[in-house]
Amino acid sequence: MNESIPAITANNVVKHYGGSASPVVALKNISLEIRDNEFFTLLGPSGCGKTTLLRLIAGFEQVTDGKIMLFDDEIANLEPSQRPVNTVFQHYALFPHMTVAQNVAFGLERLKKPRSEIETTVNEVLTLVKMKHLADRSPNQLSGGQQQRVALARALAPSPKVLLLDEPLSALDLKLRQAMREELKQLQRETGITFVFVTHDQEEALSMSDRIAVMSEGEVQQIGRPTDIYEHPVNRFVADFIGDTNFLDGEIMSIDDDLVTCRVGTQSMFEAENSGGHKVGDQVSLFLRPEKITLSPQSETIGTDTRPGKVANIIYLGNQAAYTVDIGGGIELIAQARPREDGNLPFAIGDSLAVGFSARALRVLAQ
Amino acid sequence: MSNWLPRSAAGRRWLGLAPSYFVIGIFMLVPMVIMGVFSFLEPNPYGGVKPIGSLDAYVKLFFEYDLEDNLVFNPGYINIIFRSFQLSLGATLLCLIFGFPVAYFITLQPANRRNFYIYLVTIPFWTNLLIRTFAWIIILGRGGVIETPLLAMGIIEDSLRMMYTDGAIAIGLTYSYLPLMVLPIYASLEKLDFRLLEAASDLYANRFEVMTKVVIPLCKPGIIAGCLLVFIPCLGAFIAPNLLGGGKKLMLGSLVQFQFASARNWPFGAALSMLLLSAVVITLIFYARAAKKRAVLEGSA
Repeated sequence: MNESIPAITANNVVKHYGGSASPVVALKNISLEIRDNEFFTLLGPSGCGKTTLLRLIAGFEQVTDGKIMLFDDEIANLEPSQRPVNTVFQHYALFPHMTVAQNVAFGLERLKKPRSEIETTVNEVLTLVKMKHLADRSPNQLSGGQQQRVALARALAPSPKVLLLDEPLSALDLKLRQAMREELKQLQRETGITFVFVTHDQEEALSMSDRIAVMSEGEVQQIGRPTDIYEHPVNRFVADFIGDTNFLDGEIMSIDDDLVTCRVGTQSMFEAENSGGHKVGDQVSLFLRPEKITLSPQSETIGTDTRPGKVANIIYLGNQAAYTVDIGGGIELIAQARPREDGNLPFAIGDSLAVGFSARALRVLAQ
Repeated sequence: MSNWLPRSAAGRRWLGLAPSYFVIGIFMLVPMVIMGVFSFLEPNPYGGVKPIGSLDAYVKLFFEYDLEDNLVFNPGYINIIFRSFQLSLGATLLCLIFGFPVAYFITLQPANRRNFYIYLVTIPFWTNLLIRTFAWIIILGRGGVIETPLLAMGIIEDSLRMMYTDGAIAIGLTYSYLPLMVLPIYASLEKLDFRLLEAASDLYANRFEVMTKVVIPLCKPGIIAGCLLVFIPCLGAFIAPNLLGGGKKLMLGSLVQFQFASARNWPFGAALSMLLLSAVVITLIFYARAAKKRAVLEGSA
């Protein structure tokens, strides 16, 4: 395929449900490009329109306005059966009256492929998802994870130009879900097919995607690589939705080339990286990831941006603990610390400690 | 605990089920046994039976006595039975053709409106079948609802002679038993996961293939149940054949009714009923076999 042409291009896509009198707006005005061979994730809370966008690409819904291109072809007005894209459904939607092999062969048979080619492809794809030994089973004799693999095989068998995945892991239990993440990513690399993956699970999105589009209320908030999204969220919604975050609401007091100085609360001053586009007097949110904060015993205090704090609460999570630290001025920060080698936590509630974070870890977001 | 209760668990279970056994016995087994016994007795010319054993009723199904009192093969009744099967099959097919789209339409309605449509389907049952069949005489008959305007407009010159034909009987039977086709098909369509239809169209199935490859196979139990519910009473029907077929074109049901009501040959009527019953039982055995095979295939046995 031509590298320069995006696999999917959405141009000002609008989707309303219901009558024109009082429509429910599902997608406000979506424009995005999904590159060929990429693992692209639509991420957002339920009701953000991510599934609607996927269904528009698949053809189960009609756009109210706008264009959807698959490589060079406008597909927004085609029937689902005319679009060379396949879907892995959230609840698998395997045909219960057919065996695993018949399910996988379904698409190929509709495309009128020769019998021998169908057999070869079904075998190949079932081998790819490690389900060949269960080819003659009926779907309701399979576990959830196995059904998932069959659904994948069925969608991959006709070699779609784009594979659409609608929260395919959400019905699996945690261990299986984590294992499937790796497999999906590997499958995408092996097949070279463009994956469009819908999820509300930020961990899934971060771990598998080449690029992520964070959506909210029918709009794309940010598109970028996982690290961009996590480290450089463009707004408070993205910062809040992805990972745990401290927000400090304040006012910009002064700006120089590298740093912005903000006042949070009545007296606490914080310095943050200058991402540009701010002016003195702006009401902003400072954003600070918990893992960027170091907690140390007060006696060892070193460095410039270290403040005295007091442990207000601890949530033990096994491999780490989330500390709520009161740093004065009515400000509490969430920070992380690992248990010591003997398994005990380094600090207890009420302990005084030094709370360290560099100005580079703080980012300024519009409120 | 009272002493008269059976000690063993099996005995108690039997006692608990006794009322059902009693009801089934009184309303199903006893009448059937009576019919079975009657079919092996001699007819009483004034109705009823004489308590004399005889196989005449069964012989009469296939043979008759000629003038010299020799038994000769008589295909008359066999033909009636054959015709009954043909007409019943035809009516079942018509019911399926008209009933399936109706059931599918109802399934596609919003959930809160479906019960209303089902209620509409059952409305004809509230009126006597005899009266509703008479209505078809007005529709089909000479100078009836269909003929009169066509004659007046000059589209036809003469009566279409729709009454007293096999077609009229088939229409009557179809009309009578259509709801019995719609309801079981609806019941199985309602359970259909409509996401499977999306999956099929996603996998390049056109609308026709979505129907034939997914919808129809998945509601096959409903279709089979509907066909049985229509086919079996069609075999035994006598109102539509008598009224719309004019009583000349007999069906098995009308023949049985005739033997009991007019011909006063109860044993022969009973023998015909036994034949009808055997046909139904054989049909059901085939159905049960098919259902079992399907259950094994789908792993829900």
